[in-house]
Amino acid sequence: MKNDTNSDSSKPKKRRRDEEIEAESSSSDRTLSLEENLTFSDTLVALRIMRAQFPHIDKVSIRPFILQSQLYSSVNDRTQVDRELESLRRERVLRVFKLNTGQDDHAIMFLDDYLNQIECVVKRMEEKKQVNLEVFEWFQTHVLDSKLEPSVGHEELVSGSDCSLLSIVGKVKDEHISLLINAGILTRQLIDPDMYWFAIPNIGSVLKGLSQGRKEIISFLNRRKYKEMMLALLEKKHLRFSPLDMRFHLRDLIGSGHLKTIHTPTGLVVQISKD
Amino acid sequence: MWKDIGGREAGQIRPNSFANRVKSHRLSTLQLSNYKDIVSPHKGSINSLQVDLTEERYLLSGASDSSVAVYDVQRATDYEGGGHIAKHRSVFVVDKQHEHGHKYAISSAIWYPVDTGLFVTGSYDHYVKVWDTNCTRVVMNFKMPGKVYRTAMSPLAASHMLIAAGTEDVQVRLCDIASGAISQTLSGHRDGIMTVEWSTSSEWILVTGGCDGAIRFWDIRRAGCFRVLDQSQSQLGRRPPLLKRKRPGYKFVRNGPLVASMMVSISKSLSAGQNSSVKPRAPQKRSANGNGVRQSSVGRIPAKGSVRQRLHPGMLSSQDRATAHYGAVTGLKVTEDGMYLLSAGSDSRIRLWDVESGRNTLVNFETVRLQTSKPIQLATTQDPAVVFVPCMTAVKAFDIWSGKTCLTFRGHYEHVNCCCFSSQDQELYTGGNDRQILVWCPSRLISDGVDAGPMQDQDNWSD
Repeated sequence: MKNDTNSDSSKPKKRRRDEEIEAESSSSDRTLSLEENLTFSDTLVALRIMRAQFPHIDKVSIRPFILQSQLYSSVNDRTQVDRELESLRRERVLRVFKLNTGQDDHAIMFLDDYLNQIECVVKRMEEKKQVNLEVFEWFQTHVLDSKLEPSVGHEELVSGSDCSLLSIVGKVKDEHISLLINAGILTRQLIDPDMYWFAIPNIGSVLKGLSQGRKEIISFLNRRKYKEMMLALLEKKHLRFSPLDMRFHLRDLIGSGHLKTIHTPTGLVVQISKD
Repeated sequence: MWKDIGGREAGQIRPNSFANRVKSHRLSTLQLSNYKDIVSPHKGSINSLQVDLTEERYLLSGASDSSVAVYDVQRATDYEGGGHIAKHRSVFVVDKQHEHGHKYAISSAIWYPVDTGLFVTGSYDHYVKVWDTNCTRVVMNFKMPGKVYRTAMSPLAASHMLIAAGTEDVQVRLCDIASGAISQTLSGHRDGIMTVEWSTSSEWILVTGGCDGAIRFWDIRRAGCFRVLDQSQSQLGRRPPLLKRKRPGYKFVRNGPLVASMMVSISKSLSAGQNSSVKPRAPQKRSANGNGVRQSSVGRIPAKGSVRQRLHPGMLSSQDRATAHYGAVTGLKVTEDGMYLLSAGSDSRIRLWDVESGRNTLVNFETVRLQTSKPIQLATTQDPAVVFVPCMTAVKAFDIWSGKTCLTFRGHYEHVNCCCFSSQDQELYTGGNDRQILVWCPSRLISDGVDAGPMQDQDNWSD
């Protein structure tokens, strides 16, 4: 039999032809099927591999991020994931952001990627001849270093500034904070007017694609007779409404519990979970 | 099982570990009981269940049709199915027809912790009533400013008889049975209070969870709460790592007598026993320096905030806006050894908190969705090994330290609201919106006496 990565090949000849067509059209990172690479041993390994597998989006320049629910589907022990994330966060290797796409959605980004993203935003603002751009430098060097949580209070931003910003500006005023909000790095919390969430800039369209893609997959599976499908087949479908690829969405939905995987003799089957 | 008994007889297994082995084996075989049934007279969804604390014999249930019923779970009222199924009907029922009964749904019904002579009910008609069980009469009435979500009495109380009531009002009220009046109000929450629990290690400590997502610890002898749990302050592992030696000029924070005394004891033990290193469990590679700075966030007066009105030092905690959940806190349970607190929130997360350090232990319980509009009642086993959580229409049992699902109990037709575990018999009682109380028992072997009777004069064919 040909060396194929898929374990379910009941019709070798037909599959070989399909695979040749697939191999020509798809990009190189598609040769690893999701079925083989669903779980990893360690959180950091999982994060790095998922970062490498982040799909390329044409219109928006965005650095790779990973959703927390994707981690839960990739590592067996959820408590271990939480604890390793916490220690990585304390070591300042990565940052966790709370997203507004649903209950308890968190995005994880490596710190270097996040700083790169901020740099892109700053460059774009420089081109538009904005003033007060030193705030971003202060933000990167001091705020990101000391405030490791996903949210920060207004008082902490204002009072934490006098130790560091005096040489540059004087005091963080409201216009500086407005500049940060306009850049997309801070977002106001809806519940509490004095608290801000840290956010990833330029991520809006991707988040919209995320929620639309989730809905599309769930409705597709709901329309099927038994609300299930083989993972190997489902992986190959293209999503119409989301710029993110199917593998991204599947990891996210399995991790958040909307879909569950069942081991069958022919491979993994993905099913909508009741409950 | 027989091997264990032999080992116990020979003295190889200690009595406690033998009892624990039997209990955990029985726990792992819990399933919908096929020999015990509780007949519920309620015509509305069941909101609260509690087995009495003294004998674990009487089950008290409160329902949405303003009815309260008591069942004897150890003795059946009658038998069915040829004597194999024990039916437990209610000993008495109190409903809307009662002259002093509640008018709207009863959200909470609890026994008086000392004996079963009294029970307390709280209802959406803004009243908390104390009833005499034997005569089924209302003895005392407390009027609250809003719908009562939860009432609680301390199981350890030796010097007070206070009922803590959490309502849709932002203040927690303590009603005194001895005097018949509302003796204290505790303010600090910024929205209604959905759950109230007394600590199982001290008769003066109360834990409340609010619709604003905050969990506050109150010492009722003082004003204000002494701790607000913050989900971002976490520790990796069951207990926090030993702190490094502090700088000599470290100031103790105004956190209240208990926390200050804990800090004193930690620093004393550090300076005394530097050589004897007790290795903490779980990967504790991280030093606690990152936490040491954040620990003193409660109670610190902001330097630039002096323009604000001066508050009593005990009330500073009302400005602390830390949240324990991203939604409302819908369920709280303190473990029986008083060391850990479980909280369930409407963000569908269940968190395990270490009571002494006030930190999130980051145990991840695999829940997909939890009920958000009503408070839910959690249950734990005695040596906290398993926690039972009503998740929509099923009740799931999670291992408390790893967060993995051990068992799932599916039997209710609609959402489950409350569950109660009797540790003496290892039975779980659950009540839900489908007006049923289901009993989950360890599976019992069918005894030989069952087959002997009616089968005597029939042929023994093999099909």
